[in-house]
Amino acid sequence: MVGSANGATDLSSEMEVDAFRRLFPLRFHERHLLESVRPDARSLGKARETSLALGAVASADGSALAKIGCTTMLAAIKMEVMTPSKEAPDEGCVAIDFHMPPICSPIVRPGRPAEAAPVVSKHSGMIDLKELSLVSGKAAWMAYLDIYCLDADGALFDAALLAAAAAFSHLQIPVVSLNDDGRIVVVSKENGEKAKNKPVNEEKRKLKLRSIPFALTCILHKNYILADPTAEEESIMDTLITIVLDTSCQLVSLYKPGGPALAYESVLQDCIALSRQRVKELQKILNEAILDMDVD
Amino acid sequence: MAAKGGAAPATYSPSPTTFKKKRPPIFTDVDWVRPDGRDFHQCRPAFLRTGAVNAASGSAYAEFGNTKVIVSIFGPRESKKAMMYSDTGRLNCNVTYTTFATPVRGQASSDNKEISSQLHKSLEGAIMLDTFPKTTVDVFALVLESGGCDLPVVISCASLALADAGIMMFDLVAAVSVSCLGKNLVIDPVSEEENYQDGSLMITCLPSRNEVTQLTITGEWSSPKIHEAMELCLDACSKLGKIMRSCLKESASTSQE
Amino acid sequence: MVGLSVGEKHFIQGGIAQDLRTDGRKRLTYRPISVETGANGSARVKMGKTEVIASVKAELGRPNSSAPDKGKVSIYIDCSPTAAPQYEGRGGEELSMELSAALRQCLLGGKTGAGAGINLSSLSIVDGKVCWDLYIDGLVINIDGNILDALGAAIKAALSNTGIPKVNVASTAPSDEQPEVDVSDEEFLQFDTTAVPVIVTLTKVGRHYIVDATSEEESEMSSAVSVSVNRQGLICGLTKRGGAGLDPSVVLDMISVGKHVSEQLMNKLDSEIAAAEATMEEE
Repeated sequence: MVGSANGATDLSSEMEVDAFRRLFPLRFHERHLLESVRPDARSLGKARETSLALGAVASADGSALAKIGCTTMLAAIKMEVMTPSKEAPDEGCVAIDFHMPPICSPIVRPGRPAEAAPVVSKHSGMIDLKELSLVSGKAAWMAYLDIYCLDADGALFDAALLAAAAAFSHLQIPVVSLNDDGRIVVVSKENGEKAKNKPVNEEKRKLKLRSIPFALTCILHKNYILADPTAEEESIMDTLITIVLDTSCQLVSLYKPGGPALAYESVLQDCIALSRQRVKELQKILNEAILDMDVD
Repeated sequence: MAAKGGAAPATYSPSPTTFKKKRPPIFTDVDWVRPDGRDFHQCRPAFLRTGAVNAASGSAYAEFGNTKVIVSIFGPRESKKAMMYSDTGRLNCNVTYTTFATPVRGQASSDNKEISSQLHKSLEGAIMLDTFPKTTVDVFALVLESGGCDLPVVISCASLALADAGIMMFDLVAAVSVSCLGKNLVIDPVSEEENYQDGSLMITCLPSRNEVTQLTITGEWSSPKIHEAMELCLDACSKLGKIMRSCLKESASTSQE
Repeated sequence: MVGLSVGEKHFIQGGIAQDLRTDGRKRLTYRPISVETGANGSARVKMGKTEVIASVKAELGRPNSSAPDKGKVSIYIDCSPTAAPQYEGRGGEELSMELSAALRQCLLGGKTGAGAGINLSSLSIVDGKVCWDLYIDGLVINIDGNILDALGAAIKAALSNTGIPKVNVASTAPSDEQPEVDVSDEEFLQFDTTAVPVIVTLTKVGRHYIVDATSEEESEMSSAVSVSVNRQGLICGLTKRGGAGLDPSVVLDMISVGKHVSEQLMNKLDSEIAAAEATMEEE
């Protein structure tokens, strides 16, 4: 462990590192910050290793598994048919649910990261709801996006958003046709119904994603900015700021839910600069994941 | 009809799978082929891995064909305040399904309590509860995808996770079920087979002690048939037990390096 | 909860080992069973101090789209706080759920309905449109062990006492509309209960197993197996109650013992039900 045993005046010299970490977590972390390094050997502005796997759930129409460090998110989309509302007869709908099953963390704190929902849906302009229409006024797609947190180790929102965006890029809309009862049914290759009822959406198998949002959560503590915090860091230093930028680095959302540290303009600028870098990284990871899938 | 009527459910799945009523006659024939081409007495390949969830004290991931589950163990930790004093430990089991686990969204979320209590019954005989008095061990399972035999997979995976968490047990718990379809017994059935089954038999056992911790039978069975099915399951359990054991050894040796 | 001293525990265990239980019974003897049938579709069963009530209600409903040619049965058991103080409020929920699940498994057979005690197809009226929904409710009034067997017996008695009204279907209904049905007030069809199994719970204490354990004996058990057996001697359901593991050969032995005991129980129960119905008609 770096820089934890060089203090001479206090208890830390007489104590084992792990004990010091548990008893004086704040001091333990601050000692690291002085050396511009974090307990997991990252520099302050660096995010953890991130990976993406598309198509993790066979029973869903689109799915992705995102891992940022140990934080793991599984997102899956199921497409169902609905009758569009009268106000928007040629628009579909996206319904997003965020779940924290008890397996993911010893202290399940449900609720907090559910703000992923508005960002992914229409506000970000990522998805054109008109593309989800099947038969104007009669039938449209309802995309149920369910995000499950499988392992919670900080920066949940970032991972959830990444998984959601990746699941939408993986989404394969089933080919469907209108049957005689006015219901939409899947056209399967075996049954010879193809000749009778023409598929209604042969061309629209993929969603066009206009611009994909990416998020970065930072911790503000004194005058340090720590990007992509772990659960331990989040529990000790509790001023969080989450910035969502889209692919052209425009600001989609900025969220700072209180906390003891106040953000000056320059701090915000710094956070946004970190996010910009992160967007580039994430975009590369997403593109690689999509390429990997196409090769398979 | 549902697309027009306002009172009908807001959405429906366009896939036609839900409308099959009768089982295909092929299932009762003597020489039909299983949906995934296996022999009647052949299990699906099992993929097991411990340490799936970092935040838990122990965890495991299991994948049998399309059935995928994650189990996390928390504890032993303080029992809930309302609990009475107990000189043996408590086991708390909870099984949940993801909404996309079943072909139709959100279909499987109703009978969780029953599965949870089954999981509890199968594990409690294997765990040395007196090694953690006054405290609770939480066993939480999440079924990511349901592809048949969910409960046996959850049980086997949970015992692996318990071992990963260092909870003292007499032995690992291996669980296998068979379905009775007409005259045939098929081991480790997939969902499709389970939907058409006349009966089922599930055994959870401690392979190296040759002890059965749980046995459930549904449907109508004659004694010789129960005999046959039990033999089949116990044999498969001992094989599964070996696979689970080697999985644990593997993870122990990699963590030492 | 049963609090027993070490001496009492030894006494119970020793008695079971010598085939002479504390109340004078042998290992495989039931306590006296009394069956009382009440109004249409209800019964009270007492086994020693254990007392349960079961009632059956039938309503017209719509069959599930997944099984259009079948009726529906729901079984729900409630543990009354009069039985034990810990069942007040939500306290009895877990036991209730466990009992309901075990009974459902024993009575309703496999997915296709093979081996079901209640033939769901006989509850169908018009395929895909109208069927009978059977509600079976059980209430545990007093607990002195062996609740599951008592509930199984009470449900069997209640079903044999259930008359399902005859239904006339208007023949000229358009295919896409709900047909008109006329429920008769006078004509009833007696529910056929010959296929309903009995449940025998074998409780393992020490190296031996006993039937119809009292609460005191249950507190000494290492494990228990409930077998439901129908008149043909076929097993239609089996569950093991948690506890310690058992050797497979012991399980098989318990099944065969259970099968043997079930014959006596079945005959005893049938004669009790017949007697109860006879006394009701006299009144």
